[in-house]
Order: sequence, then C-alpha cells, then structure tokens
Amino acid sequence: MDLLIIGVDTGGTFTDFLYNHGGRWRVYKVLSTPDDPARSVLQGLEHITRVFSCRVVHGSTVATNAVLERKGVKTAVITNAGFEDLLVLGRQNRSRLYDLFYRKPDPLVPASLRFGIQGRIDASGSQVQPLDAEALDGIVQSIREQGVQSIAVCLLFSYLNPGHEQAVYARLQELGLPVSMSHAILPEFREFERLSTTVLNAYVSPVMSGYLQRIKDSLAPSLLRIMQSNGGSISVEQAMQEPVRTILSGPAGGVVGALHTAGAAGFERIITLDMGGTSTDVCLVDGELPLSTEACLSGLPLGVPMLDIHTVGAGGGSIAVLDEGGALKVGPESAGSDPGPICYGRGRQITVTDAHLFLGRLRPDRFLGGEMVLDKTMLNQALTIMAGQAGLDPLQLAEGILAVADANMERAIRVISVEKGYDPREFTLVSFGGAGGLHCAGLAMLLSIPRVLIPVDPGVLSARGMVQADVIRDYSLTVMLRHKDAFCEHLEKMFRPLEQKALHDMQEAGFASGEVSLQHFLDMRYKGQSFEIMVPWEPGENKTDKFHELHRQKYGHHHPDREVELVNVRLRAVGFPDKPGPDLLPHAGPELPDEARLGEAKVMFQGGFCPAVILDRNELRPGNEFSGPAIVTEYTSTVVFPPFARGRVDHLGNIIMELS
Amino acid sequence: MPKKAASLNPVLLEVFKNRFASICEEMGMALVRTAFSPNINERRDLSCAVFSREAEMIAQAAHIPVHLGSMPLSVQAATQAVSMQEGDMVMLNDPFQGGTHLPDITLVAPVFAGGRYPLFYAANRAHHSDMGGMSPGSMPLSSSIHQEGVIIPPMKIVRQGMIREDVLELILKNVRTPQERRGDLSAQIMANITGIKRLQELVHKYGPGQVQDYGSALMDYSERITREVIAAIPDGTYRFTDYLDDDGHVEHMIPISLELKIQEDQVYLDFSRSADQVAGCVNAVRSITMSCALYVFRCLAMQDIPANSGCLRPLRVKTRHGSVLDARHPAAVAGGNVETAQRIVDVILGALSRAVPDRIPAASQGTMNNVAIGGENPADGQVFTYYETLAGGMGACSSLNGASAVHSHMTNTLNTPVEALEHSFPFRIHRYKVRRGSGGKGEFSGGEGLERELEVLVPCEVTVLSERRAFRPYGLEGGLPGAAGENMVIIQGKRRSMPGKFKVILSPGDRLFIKTPGGGGYG
Repeated sequence: MDLLIIGVDTGGTFTDFLYNHGGRWRVYKVLSTPDDPARSVLQGLEHITRVFSCRVVHGSTVATNAVLERKGVKTAVITNAGFEDLLVLGRQNRSRLYDLFYRKPDPLVPASLRFGIQGRIDASGSQVQPLDAEALDGIVQSIREQGVQSIAVCLLFSYLNPGHEQAVYARLQELGLPVSMSHAILPEFREFERLSTTVLNAYVSPVMSGYLQRIKDSLAPSLLRIMQSNGGSISVEQAMQEPVRTILSGPAGGVVGALHTAGAAGFERIITLDMGGTSTDVCLVDGELPLSTEACLSGLPLGVPMLDIHTVGAGGGSIAVLDEGGALKVGPESAGSDPGPICYGRGRQITVTDAHLFLGRLRPDRFLGGEMVLDKTMLNQALTIMAGQAGLDPLQLAEGILAVADANMERAIRVISVEKGYDPREFTLVSFGGAGGLHCAGLAMLLSIPRVLIPVDPGVLSARGMVQADVIRDYSLTVMLRHKDAFCEHLEKMFRPLEQKALHDMQEAGFASGEVSLQHFLDMRYKGQSFEIMVPWEPGENKTDKFHELHRQKYGHHHPDREVELVNVRLRAVGFPDKPGPDLLPHAGPELPDEARLGEAKVMFQGGFCPAVILDRNELRPGNEFSGPAIVTEYTSTVVFPPFARGRVDHLGNIIMELS
Repeated sequence: MPKKAASLNPVLLEVFKNRFASICEEMGMALVRTAFSPNINERRDLSCAVFSREAEMIAQAAHIPVHLGSMPLSVQAATQAVSMQEGDMVMLNDPFQGGTHLPDITLVAPVFAGGRYPLFYAANRAHHSDMGGMSPGSMPLSSSIHQEGVIIPPMKIVRQGMIREDVLELILKNVRTPQERRGDLSAQIMANITGIKRLQELVHKYGPGQVQDYGSALMDYSERITREVIAAIPDGTYRFTDYLDDDGHVEHMIPISLELKIQEDQVYLDFSRSADQVAGCVNAVRSITMSCALYVFRCLAMQDIPANSGCLRPLRVKTRHGSVLDARHPAAVAGGNVETAQRIVDVILGALSRAVPDRIPAASQGTMNNVAIGGENPADGQVFTYYETLAGGMGACSSLNGASAVHSHMTNTLNTPVEALEHSFPFRIHRYKVRRGSGGKGEFSGGEGLERELEVLVPCEVTVLSERRAFRPYGLEGGLPGAAGENMVIIQGKRRSMPGKFKVILSPGDRLFIKTPGGGGYG
C-alpha cells in the first residue's frame, strides 16, 4: 500500500507536516503564512505528495483566528421577537468583578442585523403561538439589502420542537446564503449559550468554507479530513457545515497525540503538559478523551463538546515582575518572540526562559539546534537589580521565578485532577511543547506524579495526534425527563433519530454501519441542580446507580433518595481509519553511546550547583539508561533531569523519566 | 505602613496567594455544582472564603462583593458565640449577629490540624431563595425582622461530623421549599469540607507556622497595596449625598450622606449624617456598609490583589447606631443588603469623584431590581419560590461608554436562562431586551438598562423590591443622569404603573413588566 498519511498542523510559527510512508515517520516544516494560511499548507503538501495519493488530516486555526481577530463575515441573526438583544444580554454578569471600567466584548452581530419574529414554542415543545411567516418577507428583504453573507437562527425551545426554525430556514433558502440553525448546531437548552454557538458558526462559516475548498481542490482526489476540538476528525464537507467544531482544535491534536503515544508505551492514565511561549495547556485523560461543553473564546461561549483542556498564562516567555505589594509575579504577560526574553538580545524584562539560562538549565549554544545563540550578558545585570529589590540573591530570584511559574501550572493541574476527584499519583505526565521539558520534573515532584513521558518529536506531537485521531461525530439532544420511570422505555426511542443521523453521516465519511462504534451517554443531575454529569449508557440499562456513584466520586456526596433528572442524551459515533503504528527501533543496551555525550555543565538544583551531563537526544537509543542530574537537548526542546530523577529510552524512542 | 518582614519570601508569598485563592475557588465550584436551587447553581449568589484563627479574612473567591466585608463579621460572631471542635460547623443568618439579611445563610467550619485550637476557618455563604416569613422569596416589604423569616443565631448545624437533624427540621418546617433548602445546605456543608481538606493538605506540606505566617502576610500585602492606592488620592475632605427613593412604607427621599477624608494613606468614611433607620425594609446593618467601602477600594487597586481583611485596615468607617446604615434590632433589613448597598457605593464613588474625577465612573443602575414570585405549581402540586435580580446600565467614565444590561457593583449574579426558567416554573417570558435610550447622555453615554416582561401561568404572589425609580443614577462632569427604572403590571390586559416596592397577586395571564435604570453619562 502506497497510501501516504499526513498530519498538518498550522498552529505555530511553523506549519508542521508529519507523514508516514513505507512504515517510517518523517517530519517536514514550512514557515507559516498567517496572511494566507493556505499557502504554507499547500506548499508543504506539494513538496511531500508529488507522487502519491494520500490521506491528509488538517488542524486549522482559520476559524479560531477569524473569531479572535473579528474577521468573520457580516452575519444576521433571527430570534424570537422580544429577544433580539440576547447576544448583548448574555447572562447579565461581568467577567471581572472589581473593574469599574468593565466593558462587554462587542457582539458579533450589530443591532441592525438582529431580527425578531413572533411565534412561540413552550417548555413542553408545544406551539403556543404560530410563527408569523409573513413577517419573514421584511426580514428577507432587509438581509438582502444589507449585504449579509451568513445567517444564524435561534428560537426558544427549538431543541424540543424545531418546527419554527425549519420554517424560517425554508423561507431563507431563496437568499442562497449559508444558514446555521441552533437545533442543528447544538440542540441543547440554555438559549444564550446555544445562540452564541450558532452565531459563531455562522460568523466563520463562509471564511472556513472558502479556505477548505481551496485546499480540497488542490488535493483532489486525495482524502482530506479536518481536526475538531473534540479530539476527532470529520470530513471536509462536514467541517464546512459546522466550522464551530474546529474552533480551538489546535490543542486537541496534542492531547490525542499524547494519548496514543502514551498508550503504545503502556500508560493509559495521563496528564498532558503542553507548555509553549505564552501559555500552557493541561488535560487529564483517564483512558477516554474528557469532554467539556463550557468553553469560551474571547468572552463568547461555545457549547459544542470539546476536549476539557485547561489553559494557564505561563510559558517560556512569561514576564517576572515584583509587584507593589512585594510578591513575585510571573505572567500572564509574555514577551512573546518579539522582543522575546532578554537572552534573545532585544528583550528588557526577565522571563522564565532567562531564569533557565541563568541557572544553567538551558544551553546557550544548543538552542534550536545551535541556530540561535543565547546571550547572558544583559541578563546578569537585570537579575541583580531585581534581586536587590526582592531581598534575594540573583540565583535565588531565578529559582524563585521558576517556582512561581511551576506554582501557576501546578494550580492548573490541580483544577483538572485533585478538584475533580483524581489522584495525580496514579497518572503519567506527558510533556511536550517548547518549554515542557524544562518544567516537567519540578511539576511532577510538586504533585507527586511518579513518572514523566517525553515523546519522540515532542515539537510535532499535535500533527501526530491529527494523523492518529479517529473520525468522531458528536450528537446531543436536551430531553429534560423528570421521572425515574420514564428512563428505560423512552431512551432507546430518543436515541434512535440520533443513531440514524450518525450512521448516515459516518457513511458519507466512508464508514459502513458495521465499522462505526456508537457510544451512548446520558447527562444527568439531581432535580434542581444545574450541572450535569455525563454517564455512559448501554441500551437496555437503568443507569441511575452509576450516576449516584459518579456524583459521589466527583463531589464527595450523593443522594440516592432524590429524584434524578435526565437532561441530555448524547451519542458519539466513532470510525477507525487505518493508522500506521509507531516506528520500531532496534534495541540497544543501557549503556549510553559516546556520541550522545555532549559534555558537562554546572546546573543549579535546589540552591546548589552540581555537574550535569549533557545528552544529545538524537543519539540516544532504545534501552539506554541514565540518571540525573542531566540535560537532554534536541532541536525544539530541552529536558531537565534533576538529581533525583532517572531516565530511560523505551522501545519506541520515548524518554521515560522516573522520579523517586 | 506594614513593612515586609525580613523572613518572608516574595516567591512563597506568590505561591501562597495562588493556593489560598484556589482553595476558595474550589469551594465555590463544589457549591455551585451540587446546590439544588437555581439561585445558587445558575445565578451563583454565593461566596467562599478562608479565615485566620483570629477570624480575619485571608482570601475570598471573586463571587459576590456584598459579602466581602461582612463575611469576617459572620466568622467572628460564630467563634464568639460557639466553641467549635473538630467536625463541627456553625450556621447563622441573624443580621444582628454576624448576618446581613435572612436569605443569606453562612456556614463556618474550623480547620484543625492536630492541635487543640483551630488554625483557620473555612466559610461560605449562599442566598437561599426562601427562608419563610410573610412573602415567598423572603424579600418582603416588611417593617420588622420578625416578618422576614426564620432567624438563625450562630449555632451548630454539624456536630462531630453529624448533621443535627432536629435543628435542621426546625428550620425546614418554617420555610416554603424545605427539600430545596436541605439540598442547598448539604452542598454548603460539602463546600466547607472541601476547604477544610485543602487547608489541611497545605498545613501538612508547609507546616502550620508557615501557612499561618503567609496567611497574615497576604493580608499585609493587600493592606500595602490599598495604602498606596489611597496615598495617590489628593488629601482633603470630600462630601456627597444621594438618596434612596423610599422604604416601601412611609418614608421617601432617604438621605445617605458621606464625609470622606483622605489623609496620606488612611481614609475616614463618616456616614453618621445619614438618615435614621426607617420602618421599611431598606435598613442595612453595619457590616454591609463595611463591605461597600471595601469593594470600592478593592476596585481602585486596579490589579489582582486578594480581597481580604488587609484591604479594610486603612479604612476607618464611622456609622451611627440606629441609622439606616447601622440598623438596630428589630429593624427590617431584607433590602439593605441588595438595594441600600448599591446606594452606599454610589455615595462613596460620588465623593471620590470630587478627588479623582478621571478614575471614577458615573453612577450605575444603583439597584438590583429584586423580583420574588411564589405560588403552587399545578403540574406537581408543589409550592415554588422564585427569586431573580435584573441587570441595568453601568455608568460611563472619562474614556468609555457604560456597558449595557449588566450587573454592577455589589452583585454579579447570572440570570436564570429563559429555557431553564420556563421548564421549572409556570412562567412565560415575552420580552427580554436592551432598553434603548435609557443611558444618560454625555461625551460618553451611560449603559442601557433592560426590559423584561414575564407572564404568570398560575396564580402567583409577586414582590418587587427596586430603587432608582425616582432618584436617577447621577452623571458626572456634566453628563446627564440615566433613566429611572419603571415597574408595571398588566392585569387582564390593562397596564398599570407600580411603585418601586410593591406586592401584588397576579392571576394566570397577567404580566409583570420591568424596565431597569440606565447608567449615568460622563462629560
């Protein structure tokens, strides 16, 4: 089989291509072209695919950036009359409590393009007022005159009865514009979150469609799939319909890559640590990809299921300052790549990267494979001044900067683990991203995590995740069943339309019904609560027991005598494309090859300098073993092994760090 | 000004700031996610905080500002009245003994780690949507505390790890929705248990001495920053008076007067010339006045500092016992925590605008527009009580228009989604939109209020407690005031204007229509 499988990740400075051909993995990188992201993608694909037909999985930031930069299209929205301003009202609260000058994010749709229409469905799904179809004439006229390019429709209780939304949709067809309907995008209750999600979809839809069409045309007849934020890929046609599912898909690739890499290495329960220049993403995976429906992008709620990734403003470029009250703060402000840390030559403010260099943990001559030389001269002065103000010596200050950055990340990991009833001691930390290797050992110590896995090519783990991602479609429906006895008899009936739609969509994506795994979930809560727990369900089962148990695990208490409410039914359809396995490397002994030893350096650990061996990762072989203190360098990252750590290279080339 | 003790390390200061804050946040999450009433789990009318052994507040999660300065007094009242052992938890809501108004129930738990005395206290407060009394929702147009609901002095609700069922039963017999109360209280208990567990872990890791030292260092830290903020304001005496519309009974035009003196890094707030306490329910207890002062100076800090007792130290607040800002038992206080609190903030900001006009916005809506509705749901024969507050306009400032339809100052509750509301209650919402033209004009306009029209589908008793229906939110530097709020009912198709505070029985098909105030303009 000469099929070439390519993962394409446009997340960073470089567009990464990871491809497998003839059983071997290769990496290719092209400088990204943010003004026209398709250019770097097509350029790279052309380089790789000259000869072969291929399957490409692409993680695109086009939809995310369109929202962040407010560069979507002119969008109109239709709601019930009397609710035209729902986008502005939001949930009435403010995101910053102590801000006398608080301002809301601008709505994506201005007042002149927000239309209301009479007609009402009630909380049981019954029509209490018919739709005023005649009023649609005026709306259609106005939309046409104002040069609208996309439309969102969100009517109350449409998840129970989509009749009114469908009638509006039928009438809008004559405009020939893309229409996003809330009951199709997110058939779940809570009107503001559903509206916001539907409007986001409409807002980015033409931008994303144009971009994807261009790539698809250039690739034809090869197969193109698009990465979603839920950790799976979908067909390019579905991504054009529901681009909202690709928003924030970038970090998802890394988590999927970590899950598969760790799984192949024998670790099912992982916490991912993706530390870059400005922020760090962490995610806890207990065998299954964790989902959340409470995401937000620049203040706009996004209710589609997404990997539950927690982000904190701590990265290599995070700036350290001594505030007026005398505390040492690190981040969330970042020096980015311009001006960058002081040691890059132009920065003025001390960053986390500077502290690493000062302590000997970063090798000035090995940064980016030696392409960039880090400069310590300016750094000494800056650290000495700040250390004087802090009442510390410069080394203590540099260690302090790392300790504060670690504390910020520790807090993020505690939110996803300890606070949700998980014990980090039972997990493996999977570290990637440019700065992960510098902090993983310290973080593992803080959280008593026994082991860290540093995958092969940690810089392109996200592209690897895209190649390894299953094809996944998520479906949901708010049903709001109050009575215990209604569960079993209704459930299968409620899932049936979702299953039919799922099998139909998966068939379009190239999977026959026998090849599709259907996973059922029930969102449940005690009557009166407003947060649901997602409980796995098998047809024929009565699952309230499982719900009580999960409630106790998550929150420490349960109420078996209270009435349970079934809020949503969820269906996840998974198709399993062919995936090449990891490269198998010949086994060498524990002895390190001489080529791997680059020298020795004095490195500061816990207040004292000690000699650390410097190792070249490219020369390490499966089976090799070593102990800290050690510094392992490779092109895009550096891994620090403190004195208490031991390292080995596993049969797949991953480095496993064990902490005693 | 307190200096940083030589032994304190700026790195650990930041680390502990982080840890105390995340403990409060985790307590809040535990409460929000498991509470049983929309008022807590959807609207998030709650606060969680950690206190020192001396009942000083070390950290509070960014929940509801009106709880800021009053939580420490709850913890003080609890520790003074009851001797707590490990596994005990004290509950209270008595406004004259550490509480604010009856729906706010505070639970205080001691944190032991080996020794004979507690090292810390974990506490949380939640607004319960009914505590009994003369009106469903327990936000009545009362003339005495005894009409407002069950009064709970500081007493143990949990003893040696066991809930005191007899005490709980006594309370539940006196409220309209006992099952919901029981569920919410158990969520509150769990939130404190979460706090205890995390504080014990912290002590285990760093040792009791160090955790306590850094707890008090964090209060010093907030004090230092607050003092710098005050020192940057020109010394002088600044006066401002604004008015409450009425007390819902006989009094109208109730003055709230402040003489604010800045002297180096110290501020004196003298409210003693404010009105005597009134017959109606807008009296505030002193702790509410403290909360408002703390809120304003916490805002002026303009950076992420822990909101704790340290912020209070540079503030000297003088109130007159028996006045509307320092009410004496048995005054009616249901609205003090929600309505009067907003006016106190307006007055403090108004005085400060005379000192630093560039840094102070015009008045925001200045009310929470409290709506409480009770009745019997024919679907299940169950009695229901519903409580909500409505957002309005924020005041404009020297460089920006005010935000529209958002909760301001002393509250930050979320709405109940219309689809959740109509699912749970026999109501239908017909209108929920921005109230155009309500923001005060100026070089920068005040934010707009909102309009909400609600139809009841069964017979209901409705209580509205609102302000700024007569005295409008002020503009600054020549900006015009925001529009006054308007209350209406539509009974059998006929629209009728209503006062700012009223109670009415509505029949199926009748509607309540509220327009909330806009913010003041600037310049």
